[in-house]
Amino acid sequence: MPVFKTPFNGYSVRFSPFYESRLAVATAQNFGILGNGRVHVIDLSPTSPIINELIAFDTADGVYDVAWSESHDSVLVAAIADGSIKVYDTALPPHSNPLRSLKEHAREVHGLDYNPTRRDSFLSASWDDSVKLWTLDRPASLRTFREHAYCVYSVAWNPKHADVFASASGDCTVRIWDVREPGSTMIIPGHENEILSCDWNKYDDCLIASASVDKSIKIWDVRNYRMPVSVLNGHGYAVRKIKFSPHRRNLIVSCSYDMTVCLWDFMVEDALVGRYDHHTEFAVGVDLSVLVDGLMASTGWDELVYVWQQGMDPKAA
Amino acid sequence: MSMRELVTGGAACAVPGSSSSSSNPLGALANALIGSSSKTQERLREIPNAAAPTSDTQFYSQVDDSVAALPGSELDRPFLHSNAQGSDFIRGLRSFDDNGLADAWEEIQRQPHLDHLYDPAAAPIQPTLDGPPQRVLSSFLHSFVDSSRSGIPLHPTPLPLLGLSQGDKQCIRDRSSIMARHFFADKSEDFINAQVNALLSSLEIENDVRARGPVPGRFRELEDYWNESQGILKPGARSADGWVTEFSQYTAQHGDTNAWVRSFEQQHGASSWASEFEQEQAQLTSIDHLNGGDVANLAAIEQTRMLAHTLSQNDDPKFQNSKFLQFLSKMSRGELIIDDNQVKPASGSWATEYQQQYNGGGTWADEFVHNEVFRGPDQWVNEFATERERHEQADDQWVNEFSKLHVDDWVEEFGHQVGEGILGDTSSDNWANAYDEFLNEQVAAKQRSDASSGVYVFSDMNPYVGHPNPLKEGQELFRKGLLSEAVLALEAEVMKNPENAEGWRLLGITHAENDDDQQAIAAMMRAQEADPTNLEVLLALGVSHTNELEQAAALKYLYGWLQHHPKYGTLAPPELGDSLYYADVARLFNEAAQMSPEDADVHIVLGVLYNLSREYDKAIASFKTALKLKPNDYSLWNKLGATQANSVQSADAILAYQQALDLKPNYVRAWANMGISYANQGLYEQSIRYYVRALAMNPKADNAWQYLRISLSCASRNDMLEPCDSRNLELLQKEFPL
Repeated sequence: MPVFKTPFNGYSVRFSPFYESRLAVATAQNFGILGNGRVHVIDLSPTSPIINELIAFDTADGVYDVAWSESHDSVLVAAIADGSIKVYDTALPPHSNPLRSLKEHAREVHGLDYNPTRRDSFLSASWDDSVKLWTLDRPASLRTFREHAYCVYSVAWNPKHADVFASASGDCTVRIWDVREPGSTMIIPGHENEILSCDWNKYDDCLIASASVDKSIKIWDVRNYRMPVSVLNGHGYAVRKIKFSPHRRNLIVSCSYDMTVCLWDFMVEDALVGRYDHHTEFAVGVDLSVLVDGLMASTGWDELVYVWQQGMDPKAA
Repeated sequence: MSMRELVTGGAACAVPGSSSSSSNPLGALANALIGSSSKTQERLREIPNAAAPTSDTQFYSQVDDSVAALPGSELDRPFLHSNAQGSDFIRGLRSFDDNGLADAWEEIQRQPHLDHLYDPAAAPIQPTLDGPPQRVLSSFLHSFVDSSRSGIPLHPTPLPLLGLSQGDKQCIRDRSSIMARHFFADKSEDFINAQVNALLSSLEIENDVRARGPVPGRFRELEDYWNESQGILKPGARSADGWVTEFSQYTAQHGDTNAWVRSFEQQHGASSWASEFEQEQAQLTSIDHLNGGDVANLAAIEQTRMLAHTLSQNDDPKFQNSKFLQFLSKMSRGELIIDDNQVKPASGSWATEYQQQYNGGGTWADEFVHNEVFRGPDQWVNEFATERERHEQADDQWVNEFSKLHVDDWVEEFGHQVGEGILGDTSSDNWANAYDEFLNEQVAAKQRSDASSGVYVFSDMNPYVGHPNPLKEGQELFRKGLLSEAVLALEAEVMKNPENAEGWRLLGITHAENDDDQQAIAAMMRAQEADPTNLEVLLALGVSHTNELEQAAALKYLYGWLQHHPKYGTLAPPELGDSLYYADVARLFNEAAQMSPEDADVHIVLGVLYNLSREYDKAIASFKTALKLKPNDYSLWNKLGATQANSVQSADAILAYQQALDLKPNYVRAWANMGISYANQGLYEQSIRYYVRALAMNPKADNAWQYLRISLSCASRNDMLEPCDSRNLELLQKEFPL
């Protein structure tokens, strides 16, 4: 299965919603603590196991996340540790990029999510405790959502309701928001420790998952969030990122500081479906392809990006 | 063709003649809408009948239509079965859906946009008044990474002097604080704090309150712990000395160690000795922060070892091999820049600094840095035990107790620090004394390395040695702007007359203008030794330390300037000199400015002071006032420029630098600063030309080489990185003429 080596430590990987063989990778030097960053756009080859780099963009600070535009196949946004969000067009040469630098967050931007239904806007989550709503054509954010009491690590749009999103924060809560509302609609005090990631189920718009430093993943129904629908235990360290499958309702993928990527079926008792042990440092980025059923990608601080078919060995050549 | 067709990719979208993205009309549209760089603007004009990008409102409303028409956006569909608890939420959603999207997002549509938006990603190099911008570490790391691949030898940069900028330090402090809470999920808050403190103090980063502490609210008792541990920060007697004294006293009183151990145990219990030591260590770290590090990083190193130890206890072999954990531990040992076993000058490592300053001294610092010398902990304990047995009878007990304490790390550390010297001795007195000495030496070393003053390094092969009047020659060369030559002549002068303050002063100024701050400060320190009341020297030192963000030192010299000034000396109460506070000094200088508003120097010092407090607007005003009185002072124009650049007015800064260069065309520092300002505006190509010009005048300006490299990368001129690394000025000048 294809492997791509990045010069810096991997932070995030995302499949393009337009091309089944294309991915974007966010990387940061020195584990994102100090130094530069780079966004790689890479292409899988249909015939060979080699991954080609289409283009790369350098930044003066680490890149913590990337998100593809849902409206333009060549545009992507990157979350930079200096608090800015940079907009890149892969169709333009590096010196014409970035198209724009949106600087409002006072601290590191850690998570991005592009609105999949409206397709014209995206959200950013920052360590300045706020979430901001942006469109590409405006220099300033449209809205700022300030309620979290600590770093916000991740945001996720609801796949059905174009105005609803969730945010996961180090204040141990997940908050559900409606962009038309001034404040959050719902607060889920989901874990006893920091929450690093959240995602909506792609088939049931009331189901949301949260992943925490407490090593667990919890699935919640927003109509009844006193008790989680399911608790997935099995990671040995903090769970860094989670993602619901776009193809199977009950499938969720996670990656962790225990260096593994795990697949779960949250509806069955033995929830752990698969464990992938291919990374040799913290696994911090994972994604599932919308266009190809079962195609997975992960990245980690071992400076490697793996792309593989579910059920296969990521390291098998 | 309407915008809508463009968005939906109608047949008319083929964009003839648009080269880079012709295959992609959506991309072209995005560029047209998004970009306002000249390139994308041009492309927009090529699109036939394309509406001007001002028609955003129209574009937006149409997008709304198309979004609403998208399959799958089931906006009117209510949630499934709602039950009691979430019903409010669902109701809210539904009511919004009733209103429709148009209302919901109208906020978006009201806002104007698309004017002068393009904001290039400038590498945020921080120019300073006269000093080296502080981002060198980052590019040094970059070079280091490159060098491991390209095989180009790394030029060690005197990083301890350049140091990490406040911003970098804050990055490291904040990010490591936040990330540590993710890595060490199972550990207690104080453990995490200890780890972070260890990391930070090794890098000489103050872990002040600005760092993100524990999660608020949720861990009240841990917050209390945190505050408590911060409370130790109060200045006071160095606790370590107290501990050593206590130890010595006991030994002196009781003669044999066994008695001491017994009485100590009676008082504290067997294991409390170790914990007390740990507490002392913790206090040491805290005091270290407060006093700007007058006690060395003993505790930090100890704690880092604890970290390494804890992590190594994880039996997963993957963890054992984790490069990240190795990185952490290297970083916390101050060996961020390390090449296998060979220690390179790393930032913030006092040991390295010490080593640099006292090269080949064969001192404890060497031993300390080169771990090879130190003997394993067990060996130390064993040896200690055998020694004791040989001399006294009743010592077994003590040794047994000691080995029961499970403080292997501590033992190791102690053995490590004390080195071999003490192992030959047998009495506890000596042991304690050696520990005491070790601390004192560390304090002294720390003080020496704390000031960013190196030892002045003379050039080899100086043709001006033996010159009949090198001072005059040097002054002449300086006037002509031949700075590198002037340096040689002035060095010849101060070698001949080491007490010549004017020689040292001019040498310092020459180095500063030649963009070499390390040498500038070293020379100025010598000038001040020779003539402690020279006003120009005091001012120059004040400026240099401001550049280095060393507030205390800067205040000391600026206050000294006031004190020794014939006119304002009366303003300065001598007792103030002992404890200088920024507000006091600023107040005195404001008084001085009121006393004689026509004295440009006072306004200059005020400008420097405001830089120190980052009140850039006030600083700019002060420098402008001074410039009205002294319009021909080129260094003053440079100061104004640097201040404007610091307050993000890079365009104004360029005008100021231009003034400086008009007055003094060979002012290397102004050329380099000009480059920085262009780089900060994203005009990398332009910045490269200025760096190259500066380097053509002084190829020894290491900082400028670093900036040049960054700009070349940012301008995607990777083809010129090799000439930059090999310092091929000829080629660079040909490629980037100014």
